[in-house]
Amino acid sequence: MSELVVKEKEVTLLDLLDRILDKGVILFGDVTISVADVDLIYLGLKVLLTSIEKADKMRRAAAAQYSQHST
Amino acid sequence: MIYLYAITDRCDLPVPAKPGLEGTSLFSLTYQDIAAVVSPLDTAKTPPTEDNLWRHEAVVEALMADRTVLPVRFGTMLADEAAVQAALAAHYADFVAGLERVRGRVELGLRVLSSPEFLQLPQSSPKFPSISQRNSEELRGTQGGSGRAYLLARLEEERQRQAWRQRAEALADELHVPLARLAVESTRQVLVTPRLLLTAAYLVEQGRVPTFRQEVEALSAAYPELRFLCTGPWPAYNFVTPTMTFDV
Repeated sequence: MSELVVKEKEVTLLDLLDRILDKGVILFGDVTISVADVDLIYLGLKVLLTSIEKADKMRRAAAAQYSQHST
Repeated sequence: MIYLYAITDRCDLPVPAKPGLEGTSLFSLTYQDIAAVVSPLDTAKTPPTEDNLWRHEAVVEALMADRTVLPVRFGTMLADEAAVQAALAAHYADFVAGLERVRGRVELGLRVLSSPEFLQLPQSSPKFPSISQRNSEELRGTQGGSGRAYLLARLEEERQRQAWRQRAEALADELHVPLARLAVESTRQVLVTPRLLLTAAYLVEQGRVPTFRQEVEALSAAYPELRFLCTGPWPAYNFVTPTMTFDV
């Protein structure tokens, strides 16, 4: 269960990143976020996404094992 | 420097009692009947750390509680108060139209995860290894093989890949269309990664959020092989006119 909670939180962070760094009103003023910073965080995002997929796989495997045990 | 969080339609309301980035105090700068919610920042750098991102988001969400907001992208700073007011003036019509577009509405996010097996993702045939494998083998001079047979196999593989893509698009539509019907506007991306079947955002009337969630639940029950992750309500990041070029 705790794994699931962590996962939902990660997805929410991922959704936040997708929005807050890339969408919304974009004003080109004096200083905006540096491209290097954005690249860095998107690299992290990709890692995060992979980890979510992995966690999902693990959860499914655990669920399958559990249902085998209970039958 | 002045850091921007959002443009709002209510210059008469006080700013929320929330800390801004670096623990600074929020205030608003007004132009006619719209306002920018901002805070002063000493630094010219706002690293996109998890903490900073959530702090920016928390300010925007607090504003959403009692007014219409156009969220500003993270990391946006202008030189001083005059520059912010000049930006409000320069884009006044765009901002008013943008506020109108999202008034009374929120954004909901959806990701649908699938397994490649469920979408029957074609595998490279072992008889005809993938280009990268083959290249390395040819470089080592270990394999001759028939070039024609190889190309035909590659062609077949490409055909399968296209068929797979079409299946994914069709399945994504089965999920997206009924949800888009409940929304005012929507965006949709298919297969951003091989397992991420659908990535979508929906602009939904506030009162329709429960109905929308019920529909996601119903879809989730109808497709037990897929995993549905619905987030929100968000500020309408995906439904604001994105770029306002502003030359100081």
